[in-house]
Amino acid sequence: MYSLLKPCKTSAAFEAIPGERFSLDLDRCEEILKNVCTIVAHAGILLIVSDRCEVSIHKDGRLVLKTDSKDLACEQAGRIAGWLEGTPAIQKHRDWRNSERTNPSAGK
Amino acid sequence: MKLIALISGGIDSPVAAYLMIRRGVEIVAVHMDNRPFTDEKNLDKTLSLVRHLRNLTGSPIRTYIVPHGPNHITFARKCDRHLHCLFCRRMMYRIGERIAEIEGADGILTGESMGQVASQTLQNIMVVNQAVKVAVIRPLIGLDKVEIIDIARRIGTYEISTLPGLCCTIVPKKPSTAARLGDVLREEQKTDIESLVEKSLEGMHVFSPETL
Repeated sequence: MYSLLKPCKTSAAFEAIPGERFSLDLDRCEEILKNVCTIVAHAGILLIVSDRCEVSIHKDGRLVLKTDSKDLACEQAGRIAGWLEGTPAIQKHRDWRNSERTNPSAGK
Repeated sequence: MKLIALISGGIDSPVAAYLMIRRGVEIVAVHMDNRPFTDEKNLDKTLSLVRHLRNLTGSPIRTYIVPHGPNHITFARKCDRHLHCLFCRRMMYRIGERIAEIEGADGILTGESMGQVASQTLQNIMVVNQAVKVAVIRPLIGLDKVEIIDIARRIGTYEISTLPGLCCTIVPKKPSTAARLGDVLREEQKTDIESLVEKSLEGMHVFSPETL
């Protein structure tokens, strides 16, 4: 689910970038995650939870993991992905460019 | 003269405070605590910066820590995202103004420098300024970042300001750079500003110069 883990510019956190385009329904995320970790805040556009470390979950799927340990950040991103993968909280985006290529009549 | 210095953990605001202390102004520091949208490192950095300024200048500095996270949540849920940084700064000014009343201070001191970030364009500074009646002093307004960093290095705050600390995670992707006051006022009407200010003040914590 996450293909890249990069340190924030201030070295205070890591950012996990999704490997494919999807968006998150944060209300559904909250419903799922409240059973397995602590909900710190739900600001509508991002959800903050606390588990092994505090995590900001953005609508576009990005995670900001508040730790300076890469191992912990990697483990925490995996835990979040494991809880959300395959649930209705994830809305995958159809790639319109590919669908146009496979369907020559599209757009006519 | 006494001023309420809005101090973040960044580079600019400690420089602004230093310049005014050097001119004989008494400073009271106010830090808006943006957790959970930042981390505790920013609070630690701010307290270290205030201690450094105290040791550097010999000036005792009382410090207020004010919870600002709940205000962010309200604005993010109810108001136009593009204007978020203006709502944030207008709240900081309002709270600074209230603390100025408590402290008998003559105004607010900020580290704003024109055009440095989206919320500090001339148009946006004008919109933010109209949240309060008290005087706002901006000693860095005409300096560029290199000039500010030079002073920060010279007074020893740069090394503290650049320690790790999470940037605000609720900043919009496309913040407004030329907000109109009418739009900001209309959006703020979706919230209870006075109640937000009161709750922020109820939750604040004060460090006396002796306990810091």
